[in-house]
Amino acid sequence: MTSASTPLLAIRSLRAAYGKIEALKGVDVEINAGEIVALIGANGAGKSTLMMTIFGKPRARAGQILYEGRDITDVPTHEIAHLRIAQSPEGRRIFPRMSVAENLQMGADATGCTDSERDATLARVFSLFPRLKERYAQRGGTLSGGEQQMLAIGRALMSRPRLLLLDEPSLGLAPLIARQIFDAIRTLNRQDGLTVLIVEQNANHALKLAHRGYVMVNGLITLAGTGAELLQRPEIRAAYLEGGRHG
Amino acid sequence: MTPIPHKTTHASRTAGLTYILKKSLLSALVALVLFSLMVGVRTEAGSDGQLTYWTRFGEVAALVAGVFGGSIVIELLRQWIGPAGAEKLVPPAVQSGMSFVGRYLAPALLIFTLLVPVIFYNQRYILDLAILVLTYVMLGWGLNVVVGLAGLLDLGYVAFYAVGAYSYALLATNFGWSFWVCLPLAGILAAFWGVLLGFPVLRLRGDYLAIVTLAFGEIIRLVIINWQSLTGGPNGVPGIPRPSFFGIPLDNSDDGLAAKLGIEYSPTHRIVFLFYLILALALLTNWVTIRLRRLPIGRAWEALREDEVACRALGINTTTTKLTAFATGAMFGGFAGAFFATRQGFISPESFTFQESALVLAIVVLGGMGSQLGVALAALAMIGGFELFRGLETYRMLVFGMAMVLIMIWRPRGLIGHRAPTVYLTKAQAISSDLVKEGHG
Repeated sequence: MTSASTPLLAIRSLRAAYGKIEALKGVDVEINAGEIVALIGANGAGKSTLMMTIFGKPRARAGQILYEGRDITDVPTHEIAHLRIAQSPEGRRIFPRMSVAENLQMGADATGCTDSERDATLARVFSLFPRLKERYAQRGGTLSGGEQQMLAIGRALMSRPRLLLLDEPSLGLAPLIARQIFDAIRTLNRQDGLTVLIVEQNANHALKLAHRGYVMVNGLITLAGTGAELLQRPEIRAAYLEGGRHG
Repeated sequence: MTPIPHKTTHASRTAGLTYILKKSLLSALVALVLFSLMVGVRTEAGSDGQLTYWTRFGEVAALVAGVFGGSIVIELLRQWIGPAGAEKLVPPAVQSGMSFVGRYLAPALLIFTLLVPVIFYNQRYILDLAILVLTYVMLGWGLNVVVGLAGLLDLGYVAFYAVGAYSYALLATNFGWSFWVCLPLAGILAAFWGVLLGFPVLRLRGDYLAIVTLAFGEIIRLVIINWQSLTGGPNGVPGIPRPSFFGIPLDNSDDGLAAKLGIEYSPTHRIVFLFYLILALALLTNWVTIRLRRLPIGRAWEALREDEVACRALGINTTTTKLTAFATGAMFGGFAGAFFATRQGFISPESFTFQESALVLAIVVLGGMGSQLGVALAALAMIGGFELFRGLETYRMLVFGMAMVLIMIWRPRGLIGHRAPTVYLTKAQAISSDLVKEGHG
């Protein structure tokens, strides 16, 4: 188990690149167990790359990713999920021609839980997102955007993660639906003790939800602090709105 | 899905009328331009070699009118029967009737298939045709694992068919091993080659994958043609032993099955045996596929077809998932190949051309990717239909081309585009493909 001093996930001077284009230029991020951490920044700042690099796609060029103190920088992508890290990728990426039930089952399949564990997790997912229960037999592709996002999160939860990585959960959603999603994340954190790393462009929302936040500009972390602190900084909105030019 | 209100239906239909007329006029205009020279003016060399010509405006007018009327009819059909109008126009009674038929079609077909040798015992032609159809049903089901479930477009499936056929042929003729020993070996060898193909194409998808698999199919065929010392090259492998009934030969000898059972020998016994053999192999393929679909590996195949990135994020090893799909599909191809070899008694590279791959792929696509019943029906339609239209000679390719175009217009997901879910909460609820449009939310 993690002691109070070791963070659940520690990222140390992480570098990653797509070919010659360096997307992460030495990133340091720490996520403690039980926290919600928000990562904000403009388009192309490297937020999603950081998320993907934790999952080993792309592989880190330098630096370390430590999970519960263990170096997972070179662990194959498909084994990361077995470490009880789950991801809801950018653009939701649910399986459109498979039913909601099958989508959720896919989350449970890979980590190999018992039937009773699966049913308990399923019940939890349904209590968070009752809409998914209504749509259980429907094809994933026929769901609305908000429902698909719920499904993507629900699918990630089915692997019973300790750390949940959410990439732009509010992308393209109506404000009311986005609020429902954020509420569900808060509930998961408070009631189930789930640790969450949330990547968002919607800085206002994300920082209100998060305990701590990081601001990313051009592949570097430029600011860090508690959510409330960051919200008060005047340069936050500028950094968020103007993105790359500010760094 | 909320039903679309009728108002919009009417509005779109009246707006469609001018559209139809416009489109038909345009088609007629194109036809006029084309036919006025091609048909309207007829030239010929006269008796002294000079050019003579005359006009045929009557024929041109008839053709243009035909195109105009025809395109109106096609547009109307498209609007009424087409995928866009399907759920609006099919009355509920017909729909419930169709679902009733749908539920009992598969068992009814299976019972009928089981009875085919009884009903058509004296019609050798029909029995042979039925065996051929079943071979393609099996090949279709095998390829369905790769293409329909895992979504890996394989244009070289015939390679595994060839590997299976040659495995049995060579093992049986060189070592005298029996069919029942060689059958699993043929499957294993084909699966091995499936994995070999799988490795280099792991990172490929779609068009690129199709090209490499196409090349793979050709490589296998060319190796078979050129490796004369082993495969006999273009001369093929003759004298492949016939299958025995678990060691008892099906011939006219004293140890033959007929003699042992004390019935009169008939060559049809062997045909009937072959029929049930391929039926059993095909059903095995079907059963294994259905079972696998409900297991994590089968779901992983389907998820891989949908979204590879999401699969990785969910902890699926995409490498092994792809390789198992290739291996499983190839294994069934190998079984079918071994059967083909024992049925024909002679094989040569000519039987394993790209045309076979294309045919099997057409069966899978036509049947509806991933649908077991659809593939079986498509195999019946393609192979059986092909025989049915034998009288049309060269025109039968035209008939088939047209049939496939029409099916792809009206049923873009194949004959049976419906996909049965594999996980249930309380009761099975199938969502018909008619309710779900192509292109996803």
